[in-house]
Amino acid sequence: MDVIVCVKQIPDPETKLRVAASGKSYDPDGVKFTIVNTYDEATVEEALRMKEEFGFGAVRTVTVGPARSEEALRHTLAMGADEAVLVETPPNAVLDPLLVARILSAVIKDMPHDLVMVGKHAQDDEAGQVGSALGEYLGLPSYAFVTGLTPDSGAHVLKMARYVEGGEEAFGGPFPAVVSLLKGVKDPRTPTLPNILKARKKPLKKIPLPEALAKVGALPGAGNPTSETLAFTLPPPRAGAKMIEGQTPEEQVEKLLKSLKEEAKVL
Amino acid sequence: MTLNIIVVTDQRDGTLKGASRESLSEARRVVARAGGGDVVACLVGHNLGKAAEEARHSGASRVLVVDDEKLKAFSAAGYAHAVGLVAAKVPAPHVFLAPDTTMGRELLPRLGARIGGSVATAVTSIAPEADGSLTVQRKVFGGRATETLRLRGTPVITLRPNAFGIDASPASDPPVENVPLGDLPAVAQGVQVTNFTSTRGDTPDLTEAQIVVSGGRGMKTAENFVLVENLAKTLGAAVGASRAVVDAGWRPASFQVGQTGKTVQPQLYLAFGISGAIQHLVGITNSRCIVAVNKDPAAPIFKVADYGVVGDAMTVLPLLTKALTKQ
Ligand SMILES: Cc1cc2nc3c(=O)[nH]c(=O)nc-3n(C[C@H](O)[C@H](O)[C@H](O)COP(=O)(O)OP(=O)(O)OC[C@H]3O[C@@H](n4cnc5c(N)ncnc54)[C@H](O)[C@@H]3O)c2cc1C
Repeated sequence: MDVIVCVKQIPDPETKLRVAASGKSYDPDGVKFTIVNTYDEATVEEALRMKEEFGFGAVRTVTVGPARSEEALRHTLAMGADEAVLVETPPNAVLDPLLVARILSAVIKDMPHDLVMVGKHAQDDEAGQVGSALGEYLGLPSYAFVTGLTPDSGAHVLKMARYVEGGEEAFGGPFPAVVSLLKGVKDPRTPTLPNILKARKKPLKKIPLPEALAKVGALPGAGNPTSETLAFTLPPPRAGAKMIEGQTPEEQVEKLLKSLKEEAKVL
Repeated sequence: MTLNIIVVTDQRDGTLKGASRESLSEARRVVARAGGGDVVACLVGHNLGKAAEEARHSGASRVLVVDDEKLKAFSAAGYAHAVGLVAAKVPAPHVFLAPDTTMGRELLPRLGARIGGSVATAVTSIAPEADGSLTVQRKVFGGRATETLRLRGTPVITLRPNAFGIDASPASDPPVENVPLGDLPAVAQGVQVTNFTSTRGDTPDLTEAQIVVSGGRGMKTAENFVLVENLAKTLGAAVGASRAVVDAGWRPASFQVGQTGKTVQPQLYLAFGISGAIQHLVGITNSRCIVAVNKDPAAPIFKVADYGVVGDAMTVLPLLTKALTKQ
């Protein structure tokens, strides 16, 4: 059973954002990038956990991103992934999520994949489209908001849990499949120094974007590329809370309720 | 330019979710601004009688239903196929909308990939353009920035719940049109739900609630958390928690708000004894009004809150509950 995990390197969630000169994205200059998107890291962990528990074959990680994304892939290799593939995009390219899914599908088709896994969404664009779209492009079932999975290789089904509004569903479905993970069973492991060193020598294949796009071929539907970013804007900085003062807690509560009713009009 | 908007509703538990009615309301507004067209409620699933009846009175001008035992368990592949059958009964140009519930978020990107559409998720505004395209806005980076997108071709959009509002539905009363499913495609077969554990209790769902009352580590003990729940009950609110509370085992993971929990979008978010770590904040920044009660005047949550009270949660909570019960 071979697993592919799609990952993305994103700006550190606490990094200060500035708008790029184009006005259409954030300015990557001076931005600190996290090693890998939290949900994707949890997904890599889940894949490695299953590999260890169920004796899977290889775990391979794939990303579509600029050259710096190699760092994210090396991190997944240090966690324990066996191989990695980087589809290298120009430094500031903003790709539509469906196009990313299409590129990933073209690359994944050439790799063994009993299971393709993605994190719920990337914490930068928060699109959350890639898993379901990958399912469609690969002609596989897709399952999302999954919070844990166990493969039954004999019956060729995955036993899973998923979040739905108001509760949690236990469900099963066939694989090969694409699974979007909300969270895994375990917290992601921290790579050890020997594993970080080992990861430097693990295979990491680079595919230039044009080569990947050539594999993609014509996109379905008439109006492609699909969405165009017109603007990226930052809200005015928050003024900070209006502090409710008072001699006693009673007075504070009274003033708070008055503000919520008369000023904010939310009660 | 007229647009026919197909609203894929969510009625996982048999009744039309509020977020689905909100999507139908917004569809009406967009159609009106665009210069006309149909608002088609598209219901996919099994045992949809009640929800279809509700859809007839929620602003749809047509109600198309694919009701089949084979659709009892949700699967993105199966439901995308069924939505395609509905779309075939509606004249182009199409726009697809759905509420950004777990179902909408899983289904619409698959549908978008299938039909070569132009997909945007969790949008907070929709403006029709003269050429038939749509301009939408959505929050990114945990609410720290906004993205404005132009969607051409066939727009496929999920709507952030509570971002649009529900209008009183006009008096339209379309008949229910049944669309036969036929066979499910192979890729959509074999999904089975074996168990459902409800976390709802008698409070509204976190992701749908108009008011959320949350407690953090500052509540000190599992027992004190009852104070949070009492206030929530008085307000008809949902109960949330920080990860510290879940990690301490005071409340189950289904209560967790934030990056690895749920994203909420209420009118009012009340946080008691929560410091305001970035991982918590990304789950709450879509709230219209945030109130923080914390004994530390330097707690970071006061930077994002609209109203702050420096005080002891254990004192303030019962006072609030009492004041609100009296009314
Ligand atoms: C990968 C990752 C994912 C995470 N995901 C999430 C997530 O989804 N959700 C989440 O919430 N966290 C998440 N966290 C954890 C997050 O970083 C914080 O640790 C957590 O939110 C802290 O919870 P807290 O505010 O309840 O506790 P603390 O940070 O300990 O804050 C307690 C607060 O209570 C106040 N206080 C104490 N006593 C009182 C009193 N009597 N009255 C009033 N106030 C009082 C204190 O002043 C303090 O501000 C995540 C962390 C990581 C690394």
